[in-house]
Amino acid sequence: MGPNVSLSSALKQAELLREDGNFYFKKERFGAAIDAYTSAITLCPNVAVYWTNRALCHLKRKDWTKLEEDCRKAVRLDNNSVKGHYMLGLALLQRKEYAEGVKQLEKALDLGRGANPKGYMVEEIWQELAKAKYMEWEHASTTRSWELQSLKEACETALQEKHIFEVSQMEGFVDEVDTSLSKQLQTLASVFEIAEEADRPTEVPDYLCCKITLDIFRDPVITPSGVTYERSVILEHLQKVGTFDPITREPLFQSQLVPNLAIKEAVHAFLDKHGWAYRTD
Amino acid sequence: MTGSSTTARKTLSKIACNRLQKELLEWQVNPPAGFKHKVTDNLQRWVIEVNGASGTLYANETYQLQVDFPEHYPMEAPQVIFLHPAPLHPHIYSNGHICLDILYDSWSPAMTVSSICISILSMLSSSTVKQRPEDNDRYVKNCRNGRSPKETRWWFHDDKV
Repeated sequence: MGPNVSLSSALKQAELLREDGNFYFKKERFGAAIDAYTSAITLCPNVAVYWTNRALCHLKRKDWTKLEEDCRKAVRLDNNSVKGHYMLGLALLQRKEYAEGVKQLEKALDLGRGANPKGYMVEEIWQELAKAKYMEWEHASTTRSWELQSLKEACETALQEKHIFEVSQMEGFVDEVDTSLSKQLQTLASVFEIAEEADRPTEVPDYLCCKITLDIFRDPVITPSGVTYERSVILEHLQKVGTFDPITREPLFQSQLVPNLAIKEAVHAFLDKHGWAYRTD
Repeated sequence: MTGSSTTARKTLSKIACNRLQKELLEWQVNPPAGFKHKVTDNLQRWVIEVNGASGTLYANETYQLQVDFPEHYPMEAPQVIFLHPAPLHPHIYSNGHICLDILYDSWSPAMTVSSICISILSMLSSSTVKQRPEDNDRYVKNCRNGRSPKETRWWFHDDKV
């Protein structure tokens, strides 16, 4: 028996083991599934899918360390593995490696969107990414708000002390000093009001929202009529409702849809500044 | 007979839920003139009060619209009917069914409850006679088994009224 024959028979054997693993996984017997995938990996250690399948079992068991190990191995073998990057991101977020975790999820999202016209796991990845970004914003904005509040109080105290000092230094004209103090305090309040604005959840501007989902764009595409829609819903519309632009009712075909990069960047800029808009519920 | 009347009872998809919440929020801030949404905790069925516009045949009259949303709203049109008593109008049947193309063949997911309401009000406002459609009795009899208007194969009356 030559080396090629034994290699292909090893692969065949490993594939059977993977099927066993998938069977146990469906029955939620994760321990048995891990054993099967481990045997497959022993036979053929260079197949990324065996590693991501085993990783998914670790994810189900919330075994974050092993999850991270398997995912790292999987993306080393196949840097285009959507599941590998996705689950690695989840593992990193779990140990509060926020920036690196988000980077992995973003990578997974890009790969998922490129996978086929409809995308692969896109919704699931987006949900996790938005959740992470929202938590990050919540954390950062709490700190910012606390800092601003104490700075504001310090400024008010300083102005009042200055006022007391000035009053003690002069006779007459006290009225004028009084009005100047209340004016300064008013201006101070409005300056801090403006500083807090970006962190105050309000509404996303209409031009950053899809006319069908009414939600902020994720993957915007523009039609020949010049209207921008969320990619997944305009595709669904073309398939289920009809081949026309939902707003202008002009004929429209999938091949005419073009990514709207400018709006995508505008959404990015908006979300960077207003993290509350990541809220998904 | 199976059909929309039963499928409409399927729970809303996530997309539908999300979008309806946004529509409701927008409605609360900026309701279409002449309409009042009767607040319930049922996102899937809205009951809306319509006031006939002044200077039209329906001035000072109030009617109720019932809007039921299908699982895959807005990829599918909602079912919109008038609750009893329905206004006397050449395109509105006595069982509340409305002959209006945007509710059926000409639906587009970019339309909203608010834009539907405006279309219905404009349909009422442009009417010159208060009467039922010519085929009212035949149509209503055909619907006795609780058929949804979305199952009717409509041929649309002229656009003038």
